[in-house]
This record gives sequence, C-alpha cells and structure tokens, in this order.
Amino acid sequence: MSTPAAAMPQPQSTPRAAAVRRPTLRALPKLHRRHRGLTIGIVGLLLAALVMVLTVNIHVSNTQYRVVELQAERQLLVQQNQALSQQNQYLESPQALSGSAVDLGMVMPGQAGALDLESGAVAGEAEAADSADRPSSFVQNPLQPGSEGVDTLDVSAAAAEAPSGLLGAGALELLAQPTPGEAESSDAAEESGAAQPSSEYDGGTIPAPSWD
Amino acid sequence: MTPASGHRGQHGAMMSQRMRIGLAVLVLLLAVLGIRLVFVQGLDPSGHAQAAVSERLRTVPIPAERGDIIDSQGRTMATNVERYDLVVDQRVVDDFRDRDEVSGLQTTVTLDSALADLGEALDEDPQDLEEALVGDSPYSVVKRGITPEERRQAMEIGIPGLYAEPLSQRTYPSGSVGGSILGFVGADGQPLDGLELSQQDALAGADGERTYEIAADGVRIPTATFEETPAQDGQDLRLTLDQDLQWFAQEAVAEKANQYNAQWGNVTVLDAETGDILAMADSQTVDPADPGETDELFRRPLAVTQDFEPGSTGKAITFAAALEEGAVTPTDAFTVPNRYDFDGQVVNDAVRHPTYEMTAAGIFARSYNTGTVMVGNEVDEQVRYDYMRATGLGEDIDIGMPSEATSLLRPPEEWDARQPYSTQFGQGYTSSVLHSISMFQAMVNGGVHQDLQLIDAYVDPDGREHPVDRAEGERVFSEETSEEMLRLFEGVVTEGTGDGAQVPGYRVGGKTGIAQAAGEGGGFDGHTISFIGAAPLDDPQYLVSVSIHRPQGHWQSWQVTDTFSDVMGHVLSTYQVPPEGDEDEAYEIQLDD
Repeated sequence: MSTPAAAMPQPQSTPRAAAVRRPTLRALPKLHRRHRGLTIGIVGLLLAALVMVLTVNIHVSNTQYRVVELQAERQLLVQQNQALSQQNQYLESPQALSGSAVDLGMVMPGQAGALDLESGAVAGEAEAADSADRPSSFVQNPLQPGSEGVDTLDVSAAAAEAPSGLLGAGALELLAQPTPGEAESSDAAEESGAAQPSSEYDGGTIPAPSWD
Repeated sequence: MTPASGHRGQHGAMMSQRMRIGLAVLVLLLAVLGIRLVFVQGLDPSGHAQAAVSERLRTVPIPAERGDIIDSQGRTMATNVERYDLVVDQRVVDDFRDRDEVSGLQTTVTLDSALADLGEALDEDPQDLEEALVGDSPYSVVKRGITPEERRQAMEIGIPGLYAEPLSQRTYPSGSVGGSILGFVGADGQPLDGLELSQQDALAGADGERTYEIAADGVRIPTATFEETPAQDGQDLRLTLDQDLQWFAQEAVAEKANQYNAQWGNVTVLDAETGDILAMADSQTVDPADPGETDELFRRPLAVTQDFEPGSTGKAITFAAALEEGAVTPTDAFTVPNRYDFDGQVVNDAVRHPTYEMTAAGIFARSYNTGTVMVGNEVDEQVRYDYMRATGLGEDIDIGMPSEATSLLRPPEEWDARQPYSTQFGQGYTSSVLHSISMFQAMVNGGVHQDLQLIDAYVDPDGREHPVDRAEGERVFSEETSEEMLRLFEGVVTEGTGDGAQVPGYRVGGKTGIAQAAGEGGGFDGHTISFIGAAPLDDPQYLVSVSIHRPQGHWQSWQVTDTFSDVMGHVLSTYQVPPEGDEDEAYEIQLDD
C-alpha cells in the first residue's frame, strides 16, 4: 500500500523516505502486554521498597525519640528512688533512730532476761528500765537529706502511695500514735533485740514509757 | 542547496559552534567538579569525610559507679547520689523572652526577676548569684552539688547560658558514725583517706565509653556508628563493723572522755573467736561530708594511729607466759612488798601498801608491779619476748586501712638495764589499742590467736561475694593456760582493781591499766587509763577495750570500767547472749598473813 503512494508524488525522495521510516517503526515496537506488566511490576516493587525503607526509617527515628523520652523518665525515677533511699538511710542512721525514739518517750533498756525455749527456764533477771535514762547525743546528727534541697513533699507523696503505707516518713507518723503494746515492742526492736522477749512473754515487765 | 537551506546550514553551524562552546564550558565545569570530587573523595588531604563524621560523632565516658561501703548487717555506710554542678556561660546571660503561662504571650523577663527566682530555687542570696552570673567568663560555677530537684527548678526559669553538669557525689548516710574508718573523698571525687583511699582499686571500678553519631537535633542517628565499652562498676565493701554498735560505742567513749576532759578516748569491740572488729570508736569522729571541721587527730581511727605504753594491761602477757611455761601456777604464794630492789632496779607499786602474802592470781588482780616482776622473772626474758611477739607486739597490724597500727618492742639484746623489768608491767614498749586487744584475743580464745579483720568481703555489682581470705588461727597458749588466764581476769573484776566492770548476769573478766603517757619533748606528762575485758567467761565471745588518753584530775579518781560495763552489756544483749549467771570461779587472792 505504501509503495504506490510513495512512488507517485515524489519519486526521487521515495527511497530516502522509506529508508528513514522503516527503522523508526522498528525502533519503537509496540509494547507487549507482558512487558508492560513487567515494567509496572518493577516500578511497583521499587515504590514498595521505597515506602518500606521510609516506613522503617520513620519508625526507627520515632523509636529513637521514644528511647530518649523513656531514658529521661528512667532518670527521673532513678532520682526519685535515690531521694527516697536517702530519706530511708537517714531515718535508719543510729542518731536519727535514737532521736526519734527519745521523741516518742523511749528510754535506754534495762537489764534483759532471757527465756530458754527448750527448758522453759528464765535466765537472768529482767529489770525495769530507768525512765530518766535517755541516750546521750555526743555524735553529731548526719545532714538530713531534706535540708539539702531534696523535695520532701515529693518524697512523702511517693511514700503515701506505697502499698503497705508503712514506708518513709509515714512510718514515723504511724509510730507517733501507737497502742501501748506496740510502743513497747518497737522500743525493744529499735533499741535492743534482746529486750523483746521480756516484754512479749511477761506481758510488760518494762513499764510503758512516760509521755512527757 | 536552496538559500533557505543555506541559511539554515549557516544557522546550524553557528548553533553547533555555540553548542560546542557551551559544551566546552559544561565539560570544563564538570571537570572542575570531577577533579574536586576526586580530590575530596579520593585524595582527601585534609580529611573532609572524617571531619564530617567527627562533627556528628560524640564520645562520652560512661562513669563507673563507685562501690558502696556497707556494715556487717547490710546497712549502707557510704554510697553515691546523683548531683549537678550548676554552671553558666556569662557571655550569654541577659534579659530574655519567655512565654507567659497565663496570657500565652511572649514577655520579656528581666535578669533581676530571674535571679530572684533562681535564688529561691537554690536557697541562695540573689546578690551572690548575680556575682556568679554576670561577667565575661564562658565558664562560671554558680553552685556545686545541687540536687536533681534543685536543677529542675533552676532550669525551668530559662536563663540563657545556664546549664547543669551531672556528677556522682559520695554520701555518708550516718554522718560521723565510723567516719574515720570510712575516710572521705575530695570535691573532685578523688579518695583522700580511710578505706576510701586504701580500697580505691576495688571501689572505683573502670570507666567505660560510648561512641555514637548525632543528628542536628542532638538525637542519636540509629543506623550510624555506635560503639560501647560498658563501665565496670566498683565492688561493694562489706565490713565487719556493726554500725549501730559503732554509734553506741562512740556515744559511750565520748561521754567518758568528756567526763575527764581527756585528749582522746577509744572503745574497740572485737569478736573474740574470729578477730572481727565490730566497732572502733573514738571520742570524736570526723564527718566524712565535712572533714575540715574536725581536728586532724580524729580524722583517722585512733586504735590504729596511736601507740602508747600500755601499762598494767601488759601484765597479762607476763602472767600468760609464766603459766604456759609452767614456771608459776595461779595459786603459788608470793611475798609482795610495796617496793622491791631487783639487782639494782627498784620497782615501786602505784600505792603504798603493807607487805602481803598473796597468790599469783592476787598479784594480777591487785596489779602489783613488784609481784608481777617476781612472777615474770621465773621466765627467761627471751622466752617472754617470744610470747609477746607471738601475740602481735612489735609488729605492724594491717587491717586494710591506709596506715598500719604500730608497736615498738625492741629485742632483749637491745634492752637497757630497766627494760627486762619494765616490759613485764607494760612499760618500755608501745602498743596500739589493736595490739593490746589482739593480745587479749589470743588469751581468751582458748590460746588461739586470730588476725584482726575489718573487711569481711568484696561484693561484685552482680552480687557475687568474695570473702577476704582469713589466715588460720595460730596457737600461742594451751587451752589450760587460757582457762587459767580467764580465771585470773575474773579475779580482777570480782576482787581486784576492775570491780566496776561487772555486767549483771554474766561472768566478766579483764585487766585494768594506768600508764604514763610520753610527752612530745620526752619524759612523761600525762596518763593513759584503760580496761580490756571479755565476756561471758564460760565461752568468751566478745572483747571490749576502753582507753582514755590524758584525762584531767587525780589518777585515783579515774575509772573506765563503767564504760566497759555499758558497752559490754549492750553487746551481750544486742547479740542475744543468754545470761548464764555470774557465779565466779576466780582464784583465792590473799593468803592469811
């Protein structure tokens, strides 16, 4: 069909035009359906990979910020924990214990007796404690953590949330209002372990401390 | 060719000419860039790539946490807390803009009002703060060692140039209880004295290091370089001390030293079977948080640093040697005058007394010098010297402190004319409290001498314990000699010079001592009074030593046995030793004259 049409108007240009056109048509072949699918597939794969890399990257970066956040939170908790431990260690120090005991009206223990659980015999003679025998206080009190700027409000708030309610500053408040029996056993526990049997087994050979 | 096509050809030639020039320019530019690229990437003489990485790379040390020091019951005696140094770049400090919380508008905060806020947060005078904040220095410390809470409040104010540097600070929760034993660290965290110094290697651990790259916002780039050498935290140190007992002993000795206005006093408590030091208390003790406040004498434990003539407590070794050698029995009779001439060396007793017919046990109970030399002369001086050495005299005692306890005892061949006699009643040589109590330990522990211990174990951060190796005990005296010595000690308390040492419900024994204290210029210008005793004598478990140095007043009025009785009573009831009765088994002391 093309040969007669080309031969008629401009015969001299026919071989040239034909020579030019033919390879052009061959160079741009119609895309095969399966080739197109392949291209779309490859592009899709590339896109998916890109999206995946992006997603992973965004996720990792976000997690990194979360890590920083959690680390800050951890540090805060460590610091709160430290403040509470310090408070605890201060209250555990012998000077503070002795001071608290005196504030509660406790005195130095008298001579303790001991009960032999096997024979049931009482060894030694228990004596009543001298109500005026307070511990001396030559050893200087350690620096109270609260006085160097630890937020004591935070500490007591945290202590109040503790499950047993017997932690930190709460313990002392509780001790300040005991039943007489409790006062004695905590006296014995804090001042001298050996005084405990006499107060428990004899139902109070040590008279309750005076509340002056 | 048509004119049109000729024009076009001319035009095309011109175009291609321009194209060539443009291309050449482009190629040239590309070449420049290419060469630069090769230069930067390939040759890189100034390390640009490295510089870029270094810009992002951060290397931070991971400080190792210093080990705690805990007592035998697990109570914390020294630990660390997080603190901050508040510092400022003074060049940046100025008024600043801040968002008003109520109105939501940006307002200008003046430096004065910010200083007032900061003063409130730090509990400091704003005037002082102004001095620290205003100036031209790029680094000025505002306040050291502030708490995390103070830091939070200070940083919330938002003063530009103000920042906080974290640091780990050493704290001693019980203050001066055992302070001289624990020692202390300087402001820079370097150990200066005590166990902190001598046990530095175990406590310090090894710092680690972390290397990573950060983005412009300061957050770590997750996919980039990350190297970490973890820090090795220091080991905890568990002592043989009992913190509560240490406090009780410090109170007791402070009261006694105060009573006699003495230069110093010491109470040391020992586990008689193991040689564990349970308390080493001085009349004054340094608070490790503020060592400068305490006199230098009291910054180290006196039981270690002070050696002095022990006086009559030293008679114990003379008697033990004589009994062990079989030269004397406790009930042998002696005629004991007030004053006696031994080959030209006159020995006097402290008080004038008539000549007594008494037993060896009686001489010991009444602490007569004359009688003691009569007993001691039954033993060859070299043999007696060997016994003294065997219980630790004349040798340094190392309990893991920075310095060792010393005792000066010359061998017999170097003794002067008086020392063969004076060493029998505790003169002519020196002994620290640790030496004296260690000597008694061998006598009351069935004759077996144990090395003194202060450090019980090193505990790894993961809780693994490394108990300190304990040397096997060395037998110095026989069981029989030890039994006899216990009865001699008991005689001192029931019939002799130490009657105030009794603890109701227990058999107690010990030995009193008064020695003259050597002054700095030679000669004697004071006294050291002491009592060392053990209980319960049926099975001695604890030893308590009380020493008071240079008390004021008259020597006959001084008593330290009451302090001994207080401390020993407390020890026995705290460690729940049942009172098995105080029926004594002391020997007869006086023979009918």
